[in-house]
Amino acid sequence: MILKFSKNSKTKIDEILERYPNKQAATLPVLFIAQREFGHLSREAMEAVAKILETSYAHVYGVATFYTLYNKKPVGKYHVQICGNLSCSIMGGENIQEYLKKKLKLNFGETTQDGKFTLSSVECLASCGTGPAMQINEAYYEKLTPEKVDEILNSLK
Amino acid sequence: MVEITVDGKKITVPHGINLIEAARLAGGFIPHYCYHSKLSVAGNCRMCLVEIEKVPKLQVACNTTVRDGMVFYTNNDRVKRAREQVLEFILVNHPLDCPVCDQAGECKLQEFYMQYDLRESRFRESKSHKPKVVDLGPRVVLDMERCILCTRCVRFCREIAKSDELCVSERGSRNKLTTYPGKALENAYSTNVVDICPVGALTSKDFRFKRRVWFLKKEKSICPGCARGCNIEIHHHDNKIFRLVPRTNEEVNQCWMCDEGRDTYKPVLAQNRLRSPMGFEAGQRTQFSSTEIMPRIQNALSGIAGIDGKSIVGIGSAQATNEDNYALKKFLEITFKSKNLLYHKNESDHPTHDNFLICADKNPNTNGIEALDFVKINTNKKFQAFFILGNLPEEAIKKIALEKKRVVIMLATHDDEDSKWPDFVIPTTTFAESTGTFMNIQRRVQKISPALISPGESRSAWEFFSDLSTYFGKENPIYHSAEAVFQDIVEEHLCYQGLTYKSLGETGKVCP
Repeated sequence: MILKFSKNSKTKIDEILERYPNKQAATLPVLFIAQREFGHLSREAMEAVAKILETSYAHVYGVATFYTLYNKKPVGKYHVQICGNLSCSIMGGENIQEYLKKKLKLNFGETTQDGKFTLSSVECLASCGTGPAMQINEAYYEKLTPEKVDEILNSLK
Repeated sequence: MVEITVDGKKITVPHGINLIEAARLAGGFIPHYCYHSKLSVAGNCRMCLVEIEKVPKLQVACNTTVRDGMVFYTNNDRVKRAREQVLEFILVNHPLDCPVCDQAGECKLQEFYMQYDLRESRFRESKSHKPKVVDLGPRVVLDMERCILCTRCVRFCREIAKSDELCVSERGSRNKLTTYPGKALENAYSTNVVDICPVGALTSKDFRFKRRVWFLKKEKSICPGCARGCNIEIHHHDNKIFRLVPRTNEEVNQCWMCDEGRDTYKPVLAQNRLRSPMGFEAGQRTQFSSTEIMPRIQNALSGIAGIDGKSIVGIGSAQATNEDNYALKKFLEITFKSKNLLYHKNESDHPTHDNFLICADKNPNTNGIEALDFVKINTNKKFQAFFILGNLPEEAIKKIALEKKRVVIMLATHDDEDSKWPDFVIPTTTFAESTGTFMNIQRRVQKISPALISPGESRSAWEFFSDLSTYFGKENPIYHSAEAVFQDIVEEHLCYQGLTYKSLGETGKVCP
């Protein structure tokens, strides 16, 4: 299957490409656009990116697999990423992790059957002053408590 | 030029080179894994750390260029200690495969460990496990546990082969060398990654487990695969070739060769090599000895009524050396006063070629045979007697042969369809058993030297013609070495002026 970028994404990619000395240099931002557009970086998505950047599949694959921020497997509509690093843990992050696992009935790396939530434990979200922190898709949620987590999850349709 | 001091030795070196090259010019050596002079600098193995005066930390020599007045040390205590530590880290996850590893004996990990480390491992944790025996492509196998992630192969594919098939995936201890999933490493130069792999991670499917490298003897030669004439080493043992590897010649092949060329040794070892002269006795194809065949050839030739120089032709081969072709030329000229010189070459309709090494002309000596005044088979003349170098199908001479009575004497390497039809077949040598020269596409004359003893009674064409002319009783030059043949070539052909066999050296000389 050949994946095609939407018109909107294409315009964005063109804007990005203008900022770089060569096309290959734009691998990271274009991979993010692909992830937003296609949900995760499937082989087809990586190949589409390689074609746009006029670079090899191997190069894109190497970059995409290096960064954990790119999802190489499908994720749910909401990708809940809870920080597992030190600062958040000191502020009660471990409790929040357990609470999320229980509430969503998921282990890390799993997706709910309805495809709504994926739960991941991630490294530092650079929000150490406001821990515990989590990121759902591209939004940050800070100073989490179980009540706040309930409220956030209930608000997600 | 800049003046630098390497380990206390003052030396002037070219501007802009790095410290590894500079140390080399100073007669020293800085150990390294990831650095390769033909590839971009990666600086990831950290093995080449050196101490530079006025720079507080040790620096990688590969990624540091010389500056005027630079003073650096490649072997002081600080550098030695750093090297030991780097090696210790590289060896942390390296498996102890040496007894079953093909690289053993030519492995930079083994060598540098013996030279620079030689300590017992302090690592007590379990080593990380990664895929073994990964089929990367038609010619290369990967053992990921042995890989030290120097990325030479990745850079080779990107920068030299321009195929960019390899990458390092994931990160940290999960780092893996890989092709894109579902794709193979199959560029036309893929086996070079085996040569440049400093460890046993990438091995050649063709060579794997065939022979321990310390048994191999090495003979400098030229690849006969195409007109490029890549400089090679023939690695052999027990009168068998085990692999061909490129030899450095900056003007011809740098330090690379193509995969096709690496297979050119296979026909040498074929089962159907001709071992003794063949002729016909009462209509039956029969073996003869080298001495028995001479009078028969003479009888057959004198059996043709009115035979003279005009009806005799020599068909040289663009696959054969200058010496073999010249000996044929000289033999016909003196014995029969014949100046009919044609040649044949290997041709295919769609030969592979590229802008790098692979030439469309799959013959190592087309320029050479043309310089000896042979012309390609394409004439209206008819001939009765044929001296042919190399296996050739009967169709090739149909147009130029008189149908009534003809005699064909062929010097062939293999017993196949193309050598079944001639009246006489003399077994001769392949490139791997010959001494002589080829002239490549750049008109560079390069020497080949024999790695193997040729099978049975086969011998070089120049030896055969030397003997045959003696038999015919003519005052022919009798050659005892290819060098002597070459000397005659030089004297007779203007384009060779000023060359001697010795002056060709290991990398050849270009004819004007």
